[in-house]
Amino acid sequence: MTKPNTGELDPQDSAASEIKSYAVGFVASLLLTVGAFAALLADLPTTWKVVLICVAAVLQIVTHLRNFLHLSFAGGESEEDMLLVLFSVSLLAIMAGGTWYIMSDLAGRMH
Amino acid sequence: MSGGTSPIFGNLNWNVTPYTDAFQHPDSSTIIGAGAASVLVLGAIAGLALLTYMRWWGPLYRNWLTSPDAKKIGIMYIALALVMLTRGIIEGFVMRAHQATALGTLSAQESGLVAPDHFAELFSTHGTIMIFFVAMPLLIGLINFVMTQQLGARDMAFPVLNQVSLGLTAAGAALVMISLLVGQFGTGGWTMYPPYTGKIFSPGEGVDYWLWAILISGMGSTLTGMNFAVTIFKHRAPGMHLMRMPLFCWTSLCVAIMLIYAMPALTVSSAMLALDRYADFHFFTNASGGNMMNYANIFWMFGHPEVYILILPAFGVFSEISSTFSGKRLYGYTSLVIASMSIAVISFTVWLHHFFTMGQSAGVNIAFGIATMIIGIPTGVKIYDWMATMWRGRVRITAPIVYLTGFFLLFVIGGLSGIILANPSIDYQVHNSTFLVAHFHNVIIPGVLYGMLAGIHYWFPKAFGFRLSETWGRRTALLFVGGFVFTFMPLYVLGLMGMPRRSPTFQNPDFMPWMYLAAFGGVLMMCALASLVWTFWASYRNRVALAVPGGDPWNGSTLEWSTPAPVPEWTFPCIPQVSARHDWGERKRAGDPWKGPAAYTDIEMPANTVHGLLIAIAAFALGFAMVWHIWWLAIISILAIPGIVVIRGLRVIEPRIIPAAEVAEADRRFRRLVENLPPATRADEETERNRGVPDITEFAG
Ligand code: HEM
Ligand SMILES: [Cu+2]
Repeated sequence: MTKPNTGELDPQDSAASEIKSYAVGFVASLLLTVGAFAALLADLPTTWKVVLICVAAVLQIVTHLRNFLHLSFAGGESEEDMLLVLFSVSLLAIMAGGTWYIMSDLAGRMH
Repeated sequence: MSGGTSPIFGNLNWNVTPYTDAFQHPDSSTIIGAGAASVLVLGAIAGLALLTYMRWWGPLYRNWLTSPDAKKIGIMYIALALVMLTRGIIEGFVMRAHQATALGTLSAQESGLVAPDHFAELFSTHGTIMIFFVAMPLLIGLINFVMTQQLGARDMAFPVLNQVSLGLTAAGAALVMISLLVGQFGTGGWTMYPPYTGKIFSPGEGVDYWLWAILISGMGSTLTGMNFAVTIFKHRAPGMHLMRMPLFCWTSLCVAIMLIYAMPALTVSSAMLALDRYADFHFFTNASGGNMMNYANIFWMFGHPEVYILILPAFGVFSEISSTFSGKRLYGYTSLVIASMSIAVISFTVWLHHFFTMGQSAGVNIAFGIATMIIGIPTGVKIYDWMATMWRGRVRITAPIVYLTGFFLLFVIGGLSGIILANPSIDYQVHNSTFLVAHFHNVIIPGVLYGMLAGIHYWFPKAFGFRLSETWGRRTALLFVGGFVFTFMPLYVLGLMGMPRRSPTFQNPDFMPWMYLAAFGGVLMMCALASLVWTFWASYRNRVALAVPGGDPWNGSTLEWSTPAPVPEWTFPCIPQVSARHDWGERKRAGDPWKGPAAYTDIEMPANTVHGLLIAIAAFALGFAMVWHIWWLAIISILAIPGIVVIRGLRVIEPRIIPAAEVAEADRRFRRLVENLPPATRADEETERNRGVPDITEFAG
């Protein structure tokens, strides 16, 4: 398996550990997806459903970044990874926050 | 669409072609529709016949369609864009001709060349084609061709993925093209706002054509963005620090980042609309909790960054040519880098200015209006930097410089009308009028189109080994400048007179003088298109005299000019060791830049593959099947795509090795050639004495 963020092979690692990391990621993603649907179908108040689905979504993102994209905060280029994550988070915050701002203002003026 | 959906042919039947309409009620509108379909069919037949007659099928397949070489992929993107540009400009001309005859009276309100629905189809296809299948492939193609060479990289980080991206873009373009012949395109404009484009108001296949063209090609653009970003971060030549990259690479990096973050928003809004139309969802309907305003919101979250995706590569081109053709170093490199990056980030914070009038409160409008005005600052910085670059330089008025001059004069006007529109209270007066149409063409044509055409002219010799005719290049540029002025300046006036955009007809005779001026501009644009085609043809015929085997026809300063023209597939015989910002220029200063490497090694290149082609075919089949509700084909093709990927993943694929001896042979031949070619001075640049080896004592960049 390659070390995070480099093209270099890590002699300590074997294919087995790489497959394990992917398998863990896959199972976790599957569970989180099923979990979100379960939350939707379960007999819960709507707020709870929304919260649970959001939590599952965020965890899903983290799993993908860690297990599939090999992002890591330790190792040679952890600073670059950190910057990348911060940049992504701020852009997504602009989009999500902006949507909230615009759509709630519009909703407020519909009444 | 009588008779319901057939299990085999879906909604297809013999009445979907425009010929049915033209036979049943022949008038100017249906005849134009049938004529356009005929041009498509005849063009396709002529193309196939030519390929067969010249026995080009084999070479086309082996050297182009299956090639993972970023340079060839870039050229194919540009070829695709030029074909689509032809259709786009012709449609623009037809719309101008229509509006010049569209003066109705109060009793007979409708008039003009084409029917209102047909007009709506025209502006919808024109907008969609120009943005997604002209501007995008032009810039992605140019970046593919140029960026790897400027970075000192041999290829993209993911060459086969690159092929797939091209395939997806081409599949989307093919869907738009086939809609000329089979069925109709949507009538909702290039933005396809619901609820009008929902199933209730637009039940036919038109909106679906748009949706699948956008979903498929948008996926390709997202993948391209990732490919560019990884290439820039991981594949720079040793010593090529970020702050040593040529400016074109910096703007490519900005584009890559913006593609990655903006394209998914388009995919999401289109996918939601598709779910509404196919699966009875209610994201954007009037009833059942839908909210169509969110479509505008998500769409423009993509849409605004998109306009800077379009313009930034042009800014990169202008940075390169302003320096090269005035024989001076680029002024304010760092400020240009900072300005590009600021534009990239700020462009994500302004999207609401596209729907100031949707009904949100003044405070929200003001916030986004101010953000919009701020983005003018870095753009202004750039304009000053380029002017300072040319100041007191020995400027050669080549075709790219004509484009640059046109850009200076016209783009600033377009930018200023944008700043005017950024003021919400003014926008309330002129939104949705032809003032807006004038504004965005005013930034897109002098900005994007001139920039890309200038770039094509500039790098053409690198791709094909001969220069383009300067005389015809300048004529084309001047025609595009004149054509722009006549077509779009009148639209500012018409907008202020109150003419709405997308008007199939109007009843105010005062509009007519301006309409005629604009129609004349449309004629000039058609001449510019013809002149562009003629430039390629005339230069091809004269290719021996225009050949520049030395590879550096403009006395450039960036790495791509150090290789032969046409550039060999391996680009560099040895990956260069970069030690300065304008490395090739510094090597000229140090004397003897063409010294060969001491030793050659085997070069590993990605092997040719049909992977991208297969995925493109499957994607096109998927789109077509979904548009016509041919479910069996849709299921097969949606399974085929992951299937093709898995099959490739299971195979061991060996790279192609080019032996060191072959590289050494070709490279030594090139070095000997350069030694024997007489160096051309600046004054000789446009003459036959320019064989691609410049007089390096004149280098001042
Ligand atoms: C070269 C000559 C061109 C001509 C004569 C032309 C003409 C037109 C006309 C007549 C319209 C309809 C205006 C209206 O709604 O009233 C239009 C719309 C549009 N054009 Fe062009 N155009 C040209 C080039 C371009 C280029 C190069 C681009 C972009 C790369 C472009 C992008 C668009 C877009 C996005 C729309 C809006 C479509 C819509 O309403 O949804 N055009 N153009
Ligand atoms: Cu905008």
